[in-house]
Amino acid sequence: MKDGIPADGIDQTLIDLPLPPPPPLGDELAAELARLRPVRARRPLRDLARVGAVSLVYGAAVLGLATMRHDGAPVGLLVGYAAIWFSGFASLLWLALVPRRGAVMPRWRAAGIGALAASVLFVVAGFALDGQGGPGSAELGLQRLPGGHMCMGLGVATALVPVVLGALVLRGALPVGSRWAAAGLGAAGGSLGGLVLHLHCPIVDGWHLGIAHGGVVAVSAALAAALASRRLQ
Amino acid sequence: MTAEATQLMERYVDGDAGAFRELYQLLAPRLYGYLVRMARDRAVADDLLQLTFLKVHRARSAYVRGADPVPWIYAIAHRTFLDEARRLQRAVVSVSKEEELPEVRAQITGEPEGADGPQAADPELARAALAALETLPPQQREAVVLTKLDGKSIAEAAEIAGTTPGAMKVRAHRGYVALRKALGGPE
Repeated sequence: MKDGIPADGIDQTLIDLPLPPPPPLGDELAAELARLRPVRARRPLRDLARVGAVSLVYGAAVLGLATMRHDGAPVGLLVGYAAIWFSGFASLLWLALVPRRGAVMPRWRAAGIGALAASVLFVVAGFALDGQGGPGSAELGLQRLPGGHMCMGLGVATALVPVVLGALVLRGALPVGSRWAAAGLGAAGGSLGGLVLHLHCPIVDGWHLGIAHGGVVAVSAALAAALASRRLQ
Repeated sequence: MTAEATQLMERYVDGDAGAFRELYQLLAPRLYGYLVRMARDRAVADDLLQLTFLKVHRARSAYVRGADPVPWIYAIAHRTFLDEARRLQRAVVSVSKEEELPEVRAQITGEPEGADGPQAADPELARAALAALETLPPQQREAVVLTKLDGKSIAEAAEIAGTTPGAMKVRAHRGYVALRKALGGPE
């Protein structure tokens, strides 16, 4: 018995089936081999560091353009939530880019599950943090959701760079599971977008935090899965 | 095979065309067997094998030094089969058994008609097993081919097919049960 599948005579018959001889190397492939040049193999940890660093610099630039919030929020609250957003970004990027030891393909299933979990958690957390330590949308003269589209747009724009860089790094690495890995990249980018929004936007009502900030993770993950997955195959 | 494939892949990435040819010789027979059984058409499998290695060649910079390239290359073959099967629906559409079986039998053993070649221990049972394998749905057929014919573990087969080990186990089990039923064994 192997892996729960019962073994009997059929097993041996299947194992004993003769293999067909493969065709020789095709002309197109032979022509490509004639022009073969060395290439640099993928180095996942170095790629992670590069994509992470460039994305953070880009995120800082976006924050610089959008301006930092000046609502006098406690430093502990600012740093604490920023650390949560950052850990979402770093861990999802790691799952999407770095394979387990000895494997070529990254952990696309874990990245996909991570994207789903982060999407739900950041939205739920946004609603749960309703009104803590700052003004709501109404106090700033904004409607709840229409006022949130600016934040959503800014967050998704921030997510663009990690997704594009990650897709470039993973090009050809994921013949299977590319949609899940792309969702992981998108969620990582969305978390970076959430971090920028957290440091930019003072609004703290649940609808705004949950949908316009937390929702950036889900939207970025869905967009990346839909638009970037073919690039990874 | 894994250590040898890893070594060859590393030399190939470094620009050694001979290493690629050796890698082809090492992996092509098994990959071809997998593709023939999935496509059920030798001409299509020929193209799929070439396409698979062309994709490996073009994506070689995605390789990670020290990693086992075999599951990745199998996954490329799996993806290539899926893409081509969608494009060339006729490759996976069954025709009548009268037309299909003799041709498939010749294709799967890989021998031209009338030629002497390697045979399974019981040719009658082997032919029946192949015919039964043909009737399985693609996902179950793939599960049986990978786990039984290619000797992959459930986890490896799941990685290649882009599914969970649980789903692969179910597919392999159902495929195996269907095979036994088709061959007249106990369910």
